Amino acid sequence: MRGLLRSSGKWWPGVVPLAILLAIAAWTTTPPLEADLAARAQASLKDTVLDKTLITVAGRDVTFAAEAFSEEGRRSAVAAVESVPGVRLVNDQTSLVPEAKPFVWTIERDVVRVTLGGSAPLPASKARLLDAARAAVSGVEVADRLSLSRGAPLRFDAAALLLIDQIGKLKDGKITLSDSEVTLAGMARELGGREAIAAALKNLPEGYWIGANGIKAPPYVFAANKDPVAGALTLTGYVPDNTVHAALAVAAARKFFNEKVIDNLKASVGAPQGFANAVVSALGALSRLSTGTLTVSDREVKLSGDALYDAAAGQIRGGLSKGLPQGWQIKAEISVKPPATPVDPTVCQQLFADLLHKGQIQFDSGRATIDPDSTGLLDRLIETAMRCPTATIEIGGHTDSDGDAAFNQTLSEKRAQAVSEYLVHAGLPPERFRPVGFGSTRPVAGNDTDEGRAQNRRIEFLVR
Amino acid sequence: MVDLATFYWGWLLGAALLGFAVGWIAVVHRGSGLSNRASLWLTGLLAALIAVALARLIPGRPGYWLDLGLLMMAAYVLGCAVGSWLRHWVISRHVPAA
Repeated sequence: MRGLLRSSGKWWPGVVPLAILLAIAAWTTTPPLEADLAARAQASLKDTVLDKTLITVAGRDVTFAAEAFSEEGRRSAVAAVESVPGVRLVNDQTSLVPEAKPFVWTIERDVVRVTLGGSAPLPASKARLLDAARAAVSGVEVADRLSLSRGAPLRFDAAALLLIDQIGKLKDGKITLSDSEVTLAGMARELGGREAIAAALKNLPEGYWIGANGIKAPPYVFAANKDPVAGALTLTGYVPDNTVHAALAVAAARKFFNEKVIDNLKASVGAPQGFANAVVSALGALSRLSTGTLTVSDREVKLSGDALYDAAAGQIRGGLSKGLPQGWQIKAEISVKPPATPVDPTVCQQLFADLLHKGQIQFDSGRATIDPDSTGLLDRLIETAMRCPTATIEIGGHTDSDGDAAFNQTLSEKRAQAVSEYLVHAGLPPERFRPVGFGSTRPVAGNDTDEGRAQNRRIEFLVR
Repeated sequence: MVDLATFYWGWLLGAALLGFAVGWIAVVHRGSGLSNRASLWLTGLLAALIAVALARLIPGRPGYWLDLGLLMMAAYVLGCAVGSWLRHWVISRHVPAA
């Protein structure tokens, strides 16, 4: 043993090669050791939920920076890194994710994209919200402006997912969740969308409430276009239901005797109050125009086009405002069609016959009151009468054979008189018209069928 | 440190072999050894370095290098001791035979 101690004094020369060996070992082992420690520290955190994790290794010392979502999670993350074999020191630079107060989350939709903003409670929740948004608006870009924060209210994910579903029903708009208060603004994509969103919001998780729901419905639009060249009336837009649809189709067919009705209407909820009445009245006004367009947008009625003569323009404007329910607005841009070229009385007769072949002047049953549906036809007759200012016209009233002959005679006279007064009221000189009643003495068809009787109830214009 | 020994046993073995060789030679080497004073200083220095390493006072890479150096030194010293002891044993067996 003493010999060993004595010889130990001579061990020092080996220190020099040892130092060289150490230098080589340090040179070659440091980078792989650091990489290995970093990988294993990273792996030790795979079950821990952290944000902004950054691990840097110098020698065997690990600098660990991260944001944790709870104090407990933060401590366990640091402990996990400390327990990695080979780690000497952990330089703990972890902190807690900042707390948001109030916890605000937003989803906004504009023309090009859907943007998620505000705070999400956890990375997994953030990913789920983004996935849900992509699914809700498939094909539209989804922009992620979410940051992670603590302080989310209970059942946040369920509430946010429900609100994301609603963004699909919006054309544009913004939904904000501030703690447990939901605020909505924007425009629904389709008619009925606003109602669908309101219904869906009833399923919000317990504790959530609607602060303000400013979702607007798109305008409820009905449009009719009268095109005399094509001889067509095109109806587009919405009607509340099939009953109203059928009623409008019947009204259009009665008012537009000369045009084919092209019906492109769709049924949808959300019609304003008094829709059917307003549209029927407005269609009556349109029927009196030579060419024109009617647009009903929510409670606004826009009518533009050409009246057949001066007095008609005023009557149409007045009639329209009388026929609409309260609270409706009118924008009438009615000009007067330039007068047609004067023609020979014989041509006039032909024109009258053509018009009265296509449609008949209708009266209330058993009375001499002109049905408002016939004003379109009457305007055409007046316009024709204006083209032959020198002609005298006999207005002949005829009835079917039903009922008392004397009554029919009187009725036919009164009806011819009513038509004559209508023409005079439109500005034509009274001396040009001779109203005559023929009762049922001059039938043009058999009186034994409904069809025949309908043909016999008529007004005829005869140029003298 | 135990972990390091398992990671880099090759380098430690190298140091131990170097120590074994030096220890083997040291027994028959005729040169003068370290004075007692110098040995004391060296032992003190080593003790201080070990204390610094255990207290983890030096951070980062230098800290790792110090640990590695001390481990290699330990393996070296152990190698020296085994080498010297074996040489003594071999010599003491030869002497009676002569």
